[in-house]
Amino acid sequence: MSKDLSEVIGRVVPAPENHLSADMLEKARKARRSFMGKALAMGAGVAAAAKAQAAGPVGEGEDAILTLPEHTKGLGLPVAMNPYGQPSQWEKNLIRRESPGLTRVPQASVSFTPLQGLFGIITPSGLHFERHHQGWWDIDPSKHRLMINGLVKRQRVFTMDDLMRLPSVSRIHFIECGANSATEWGNVAVSSVQYSHGMLSCSEFTGVLLSTLLEMCGIDKKKAKFILAEGADGSSMTRTIPIENAMDDVLVAWAMNGEMLRPENGYPLRLVVPGIQGVSWVKYLRRIEVGDERYAAKDEAVHYIDHMPDGTHRQYSGVQECKSVITTPSAGQLLLDKGFYNVTGLAWSGRGAIKRVDVSVDGGRNWRTARLEGPILPKALTRFNIDWVWDGKPAILQARAVDSTGYVQPKINQLRAVRGTKSVYHQNAIQSWKVAENGEVSNVQVF
Amino acid sequence: MKTKLKLSVAAVLLGAAFTGVAHADNKTAMMSVGRDATPAEVKAWDIDVRPDFKGLPKGAGSVSMGENVWEDKCAACHGGFGESNEVFTPIIGGTTAEDIKNGRVAALVEGAKSTAPQKTTIMKVATVSTLWDYINRAMPWNAPKSLTTDEVYGVVAYLLSLAGVVPADHTLSDKNIAEAQARMPNRNGMAYYEPMWKTSGKGDVKNVLCMKDCATEVKITSFLPDYAKSAQGNLVEQNRVVGPTRGVDTSKPASK
Repeated sequence: MSKDLSEVIGRVVPAPENHLSADMLEKARKARRSFMGKALAMGAGVAAAAKAQAAGPVGEGEDAILTLPEHTKGLGLPVAMNPYGQPSQWEKNLIRRESPGLTRVPQASVSFTPLQGLFGIITPSGLHFERHHQGWWDIDPSKHRLMINGLVKRQRVFTMDDLMRLPSVSRIHFIECGANSATEWGNVAVSSVQYSHGMLSCSEFTGVLLSTLLEMCGIDKKKAKFILAEGADGSSMTRTIPIENAMDDVLVAWAMNGEMLRPENGYPLRLVVPGIQGVSWVKYLRRIEVGDERYAAKDEAVHYIDHMPDGTHRQYSGVQECKSVITTPSAGQLLLDKGFYNVTGLAWSGRGAIKRVDVSVDGGRNWRTARLEGPILPKALTRFNIDWVWDGKPAILQARAVDSTGYVQPKINQLRAVRGTKSVYHQNAIQSWKVAENGEVSNVQVF
Repeated sequence: MKTKLKLSVAAVLLGAAFTGVAHADNKTAMMSVGRDATPAEVKAWDIDVRPDFKGLPKGAGSVSMGENVWEDKCAACHGGFGESNEVFTPIIGGTTAEDIKNGRVAALVEGAKSTAPQKTTIMKVATVSTLWDYINRAMPWNAPKSLTTDEVYGVVAYLLSLAGVVPADHTLSDKNIAEAQARMPNRNGMAYYEPMWKTSGKGDVKNVLCMKDCATEVKITSFLPDYAKSAQGNLVEQNRVVGPTRGVDTSKPASK
């Protein structure tokens, strides 16, 4: 039941016919809590009565209750009709989407996760954001191999059969593209949280610790300082990863959210590098080289580098620092009415766990501490919620996260003061959403 | 009840039996999973080239040979001179002879004027190995890894000649590539900042944890103009049909 909002929101939008006088509108505003007020605001007369069902009971009660629907009076559908279940037909709006004009070729592009409609901390696998550098593949897992070479005693080859019999771990981690929110470095550029923050997902990954594999190959611990991860696709994406991470929490993963990885996310094997930007999570992983120098791969020498005001580029800056964003209400959404709301959002840090999230509704002047929902895990998304009663006046909503190192998420002007305005990557500033009197939420910058 | 109890006791005993296996045996058995890579296999896949040229295969290619390959396989996307912004961001442009001398691209400094409409690859890249490695592993776009080693040298030579790093009659090879590196326009343009490389580091940007009457102007410094609100499509179709909010209908003129 998707209603035209002009019908639903009492106070917010003038009647579509635009035939209510200012006087009548004012009356409607005052009486808006009552049914009559809503009816008045929706449009006078007979039309209003017909539409009033959306707002509340008329006479004996609401049709949705008094007239039993087909699904209550008939026989439902059989089991296994959809052998692999799909979301409800009513949820078709919440899908991965491209940002038109962002890239010229769809094989080197992005599709964004619809954060505005998601709950909790786990991203449904079908909604995990996509970033491909040279198109995606659905690789036959029986033909996939992982090679480990370089500074090891034994250069080894593993099949999927080999890898999947090794001791596995399952860990929940976020993955964020280093360019997430990049469009907002200078000015506000996009219309919703899907496009401003949607290169962000969080899943339970299952795989073998890279350290286990490196130990099995007899890694030269004295000389090894870096590893190079390489993909099996056309781009054969490579990234340098610090040995500290490689020997700590990096996973060679085959599963995501209880099933094998989706092809768009690297089936059958990808690297999981907790806390580090998504480009390092090499998909279709075919090779790990242990080395003693950085590799200056294309995506660490030309892209994913931070352009500083003095003209230098910071190379090898991969940590996704502490960040948060309110997902509801967020830009492009319309509040149905004034009154009670649950403001909800996500917080995360590549350096550890989320310690606290504060929320402001007055553009950052005053803050209240939000409730953190469990589980609160290191290098994973954390869901926060806070009560808010909207008084119908303009408001500016912000969230500010603090991580376990004590780092406080910065404002965009603080970020620019250090890194300048030409930078693209690693934009973790506080996001502002403006709520207008008509209930419309939009993307603004306030600091 | 009794059966259940028996079962759970059995389960505990079974668990003990598994964990009771000597740990060393487990480890030895685990270490034998997988197999050694053959030299030919390592050679086939270990294609990366580092900034110190470790991994660079022997070979050579002239600017003119590279130009031919370029015209044939690269120009359609990148433009005849690597300048095109049609399909991918431009590769060549925005660097000067002075940059080559200094190893720093002056146009990258905040506020500086650039002759290129946007940052090009050659303005940014500090290491010639990066160009070689990437062209070798990922280009051409629709047929990666199809160039011969000498062709890769030729294409890199052609690009470097367009940027004035090597002369037009140059032949680039594994023997002289270090000389090209010494003339890369932005070779001194990279900074290494460890706190953004290590997850254990501390950041470079500071905010304070103010809760009341915090210093802020609460001034909207930037907002999305009305015409741009539908740039990513109609948002009413990108939000749920129930819940505390709906999507804004951005197909209609903005409401007041």
